[in-house]
Amino acid sequence: MLSALQYGRRQFLRAGATVIALPALEAFGGRAAAPHRPRNFVAIGTYLGWHQNAFFPRQAGRDYELSPTLAPLAGIREQFTVFSGLDHRAPNGHAAWSNFLCGMNPGSWSLDQMIADSIGQQTRIPSIELTAGSGEGPQAMSFTRQGVGLPQIDRPSVLYKRLFASEADRARTEYLLASGESSLDMVLDDANRLQRALPSRDRAKLDEYFESIRAVEKRMERQLAALDEPAATTTYTLPDYDPVTPNLQIEAEGILYDLSALALESGQTRVITMFLHGLGQVFSLDGRQLVAGYHGLSHHGNDPVMIRDLVAIETAHVHCLAQFLGQLEQKQTVDGRSLLDDTIILLGTGMGDASRHSNANLPTLVAGGGFKHGSHVVVDPKHAGAPLLGDLYVTLMQRLGIETDRFSNASKTMNEVLL
Amino acid sequence: MRQSLPLMLVLTGAIAAARADEPAVVPQPIRAILAGRCLDCHAGDTAEAGVRLDREAIDWGDPAQVDLWRRVVEVIEDRRMPPPDAEPATQADRVAIVAFLDPPIIGHTPFGGTPPRRLSRDEYAATIRRLCHLPAFALPVGFPLDTERHGFDNLAEGLMLSPAHLEAYALVARDVAEEIFPPPRPAATHARWEAGPRDLALSFSAATLHGDAVRLASRSIDSMRSCTWPSRIEMKDSGTYTITVTASQFLSPEGHRFEGPMKLEVYARPVSATDRSRVSAFRLLHTIEVSLESPATTAFEADLYEGDTVLFRWANAEMTHEFNELADQMEVWFRDDPRFLAAWQHAVFPSGDPARPETTRLRGRNGWDIVSEHWSDPALDLSDATMDTKKTKKLVDLWRSMASTTALADALCYFYHERGPALEIHGVVIEGPSKSIESPRDRARAAARRAIVGNRKDGQTDRDVARSMLRSFLPKAFRRPVSDATAKSFLTIATRHWDEGHSFDEGMHLLLRSILVSPRFLYRCIEPADAAGNLDQFDLATRLSYFLTQGPPDGTLVDLATRSRLGESWVLRREAERLLPKRPVDPMIRSFVGQWLDTKLLPGIMPDAKFHFDDEATALARQETETFFTDILTKNLPMQTFIDPDFTFSSIAFVQRNYGFTPPDAKEAKQPLSQEDLRKFQRLTIPPGGRYGGLLGQAAILMATANGVDTQPVIRGAWVLENILGMPSPPPPKNVPALTPDTKGAKTPRDLLAAHTQEASCAVCHARIDPVGFAFENYDPVGRWRAKWPGTDAPIDASGTLPDGAVVKNPIEFKAWLVANIDLFSTCVAEKLLTYATGRVPNYAERREIEKLVRANREAGKGFRDLVLDLIDSRTFRAL
Repeated sequence: MLSALQYGRRQFLRAGATVIALPALEAFGGRAAAPHRPRNFVAIGTYLGWHQNAFFPRQAGRDYELSPTLAPLAGIREQFTVFSGLDHRAPNGHAAWSNFLCGMNPGSWSLDQMIADSIGQQTRIPSIELTAGSGEGPQAMSFTRQGVGLPQIDRPSVLYKRLFASEADRARTEYLLASGESSLDMVLDDANRLQRALPSRDRAKLDEYFESIRAVEKRMERQLAALDEPAATTTYTLPDYDPVTPNLQIEAEGILYDLSALALESGQTRVITMFLHGLGQVFSLDGRQLVAGYHGLSHHGNDPVMIRDLVAIETAHVHCLAQFLGQLEQKQTVDGRSLLDDTIILLGTGMGDASRHSNANLPTLVAGGGFKHGSHVVVDPKHAGAPLLGDLYVTLMQRLGIETDRFSNASKTMNEVLL
Repeated sequence: MRQSLPLMLVLTGAIAAARADEPAVVPQPIRAILAGRCLDCHAGDTAEAGVRLDREAIDWGDPAQVDLWRRVVEVIEDRRMPPPDAEPATQADRVAIVAFLDPPIIGHTPFGGTPPRRLSRDEYAATIRRLCHLPAFALPVGFPLDTERHGFDNLAEGLMLSPAHLEAYALVARDVAEEIFPPPRPAATHARWEAGPRDLALSFSAATLHGDAVRLASRSIDSMRSCTWPSRIEMKDSGTYTITVTASQFLSPEGHRFEGPMKLEVYARPVSATDRSRVSAFRLLHTIEVSLESPATTAFEADLYEGDTVLFRWANAEMTHEFNELADQMEVWFRDDPRFLAAWQHAVFPSGDPARPETTRLRGRNGWDIVSEHWSDPALDLSDATMDTKKTKKLVDLWRSMASTTALADALCYFYHERGPALEIHGVVIEGPSKSIESPRDRARAAARRAIVGNRKDGQTDRDVARSMLRSFLPKAFRRPVSDATAKSFLTIATRHWDEGHSFDEGMHLLLRSILVSPRFLYRCIEPADAAGNLDQFDLATRLSYFLTQGPPDGTLVDLATRSRLGESWVLRREAERLLPKRPVDPMIRSFVGQWLDTKLLPGIMPDAKFHFDDEATALARQETETFFTDILTKNLPMQTFIDPDFTFSSIAFVQRNYGFTPPDAKEAKQPLSQEDLRKFQRLTIPPGGRYGGLLGQAAILMATANGVDTQPVIRGAWVLENILGMPSPPPPKNVPALTPDTKGAKTPRDLLAAHTQEASCAVCHARIDPVGFAFENYDPVGRWRAKWPGTDAPIDASGTLPDGAVVKNPIEFKAWLVANIDLFSTCVAEKLLTYATGRVPNYAERREIEKLVRANREAGKGFRDLVLDLIDSRTFRAL
């Protein structure tokens, strides 16, 4: 299927064959942590969900037959686990979409940001938020601890610049950082003058300003220090345009996955999320123009032709994922493991059934991370004590070395199926 | 039905400062009431909840005592005490206790106390726009959100400043400085872009790829329904380019004829524009006449700006998405071709029942494939295919209704794509630039720079220019006069940078960046209060301006503050009148109404397809509420108007469809009404005392209190209590599962909720919330009336007992009850307004002042604008 996708014309190297020159980053020379602990986390979420009948395999256990949507993953079936019957018990409706990584309450501290707050600070970029072909206003998937929705990068060239900045860009960044930092003393001088004149309660309130300034200053220093380190470079070349419009989503997705693999390989970040929006764009797949736009197809009204084409798009997404997982599998970390073993990949959505705007039974897949994979795990949500999606998240976090035993409304783990 | 009003409204003249340092003796009659009603539980060391009321005297100098007795008044007024299982207190008892406690509590509750707060997101954005002369400035995506407190995003307790904020401020400051003092840009490089048909975007039903061309069919004003564009082309430099387009006509014997040349419009489209943009959002570059069926190439020169690509639209297409025009056209077509009519009938009514149209699966080409399959079926059943059948009438109705036409029209596009007439685009080449040009953005930058820095006069040094810039800019940025010491600190930033060898522009760039991260800019009302606890003149100007305009004070306010005139009552009122929003689109309306009535949530609610409630309907619903509010404000109408008016603002079509009746204006108007008449947003008369009209019957509010799919009485009940009656409920306990409607229809929501709230701990709150919520169960998630609970045959039981004991049977009776108790609502709105204005929730003493103003307003027969002015002139508003 992939050959026929519109990005057949890409005139650049696939990331698998790309050379990157790695600076000596501490992530690689670091002390030997507990063995076999994955370091990275990647989450991918679709806005319109995944058509359940085509996503969930029919059989449970190890001997399941791959479902149509997951067919592109046939080559690495021992590297992932499919889950059905999991969700966050969140209310229905579109507004609840962001519960994918947030749990029961949309807009609360998301899984990826919990992970980034815990392990992301050790790398140059604590977390990267991406979106493929969004072409539209903000639609956050990741939320900070304070509930701030994080912006997503939709231009591959912007991500590329962050990862592999040119000499001139670095010089400009350095100038802006250094000059900004040098002027802070005068701003603070005046701020102190202001604070001294305040009654004591307000003086204490203004402490938040000074604390924030100090945090920003520290960050600037870190950024400046990072600029002194040798930069990561790559031979990977981008197309001369940015595929930002919705119709180029699959193309953008492929490139962003390539760059994500490079970002993880070069140790510049440990946490990446990618949001796959769904608007009215009409795709051509396998040389065939689909019968309706992506969003229109999601409201399929059980029409078989509409469902066929919806599944075709979702399969194309999984195809991109398969390529990404393949790249990670080929890449080696310094301690000789594959980057796939070193990375937990979570594929899912906050939308259980877009046709009905239901947020129950969220299609979920976990790959990599050195887990015991190869099964379709079926949960019966009606069963008393049935695990929640959050229980799976607790297992993922613990695997990454984060000491926690709860996520949103969940306080158990699913260790027994993955470890 | 009129019940006793809550006590707070009965008490008059209670505000009397009774400052006593000596503990005040509790008089015998009061002690007797307390002993009879309260002391069974609230006495001694084992008092319930640690609340001890067995006191012979109260030490009003002790804030803890003030707080304790304030809570006593509140639970008595709210009738939460004595508890339901105890003997209720008499009205006389309640009045006596409150009359005793009220004055000393007020006397010991100082007005004011808003801590310094940073600007909210909206305030910050408006301030940057105005201060930096960047009218198009928008916050970067992902700028930290504000934390909502008590329903508003601008309360001091929610406006904490975190490192994330400061980082965002620093980034905006940098972006603003880059905009006004941009670094020199490298010269434009000459380039050539080529896009074939496979590089052209296919959006919704706008275009189809056929062989070596993309075909366009509709002239819809929505670009996603009519246009295509090369999405892999993006200009890097603004300049004049040569654009070469290859296009042809597509006609076929099966399609309609087309007379004359096809007009192909070429627009400039920013690549990052949303697909939902209308064509009118783009810049028309050129119109090409396409006259041949074989590909012909046209080249022209046009200016493209950085970030642009081109966009193609067939301006004189036969096909339109304007549903009135389209329906007329379809009717003719149906009359001429019974097979075509029958094919649509079978596609739209697969069950054969005209009462059950199914348009969901008809989206896009799939819809056309279904129609076309029927059309080519030799055995097509034509028995209903005449113009007078029920099916035909219903089908034409569907083409006439805005909710379904778009989907049907999208399907129809493919008729044109397949059979023509269609316009074919084979490719486009863009080459250049032949010369560089200033984009509108470049011009705006230069103007902003002039406004901030001024023009350098002869003989002025860099330092002189910076000093004069600071003299005019700093007081505006900091919203008050600036001391020499402060000005000097900032001047040093620029001069030091120049001394280090940087250019003038670099120094100014840094200076501007630094000003925009100063706490004097980021926080408002940061000066200490005056001796009386009031804001000083400049902070008063700031509070007034952000309240009414969301932006910083203008020159007039600053001038009045400078001359210490703003504090005078008549000046303050006059200025408030001047700044009060006049139009529904003014920022304060959007912001306050959006937050108070939660209409800001509407864009995020996507009503289920079964409600046929599209984006246009959502926008109209929101506009209804905002315009309604604005009208009551500007016309100074009485407060009851909010609840039971005889007018609304909507379109006839919306009222017919969503509210289920034809407004008198429509009956009186000249018949027949055109589609334009039906869709026109206007003031409409409605009968008072009915299901609709007033905030509580408006679609926007009924939508905002549901989720687009189903309704939950608890959510609506809690919402009405908090936002209409001013009686907020405590937050729900954690670990309570959400109520999911019983889709099998075995139980009504009432049964489900009854089971859910059996526990006594739940019942305390639910006894207040649920009856109010059930009163609105007759409205579905988009505000349409319904008689039965969805999925059941059970008629909706909307009756309930309200907090004051009144019994209502339905929403109409609820509204009548509220009109009779209008001060409840007025006080609620007034508190919300002052909460929004002052950034704090009014305290006990302030609430008493508000109640007094509300009562006086009603007794004097005054209106809403008068009330707002009274609130602005109040102690509460003026206090820090």
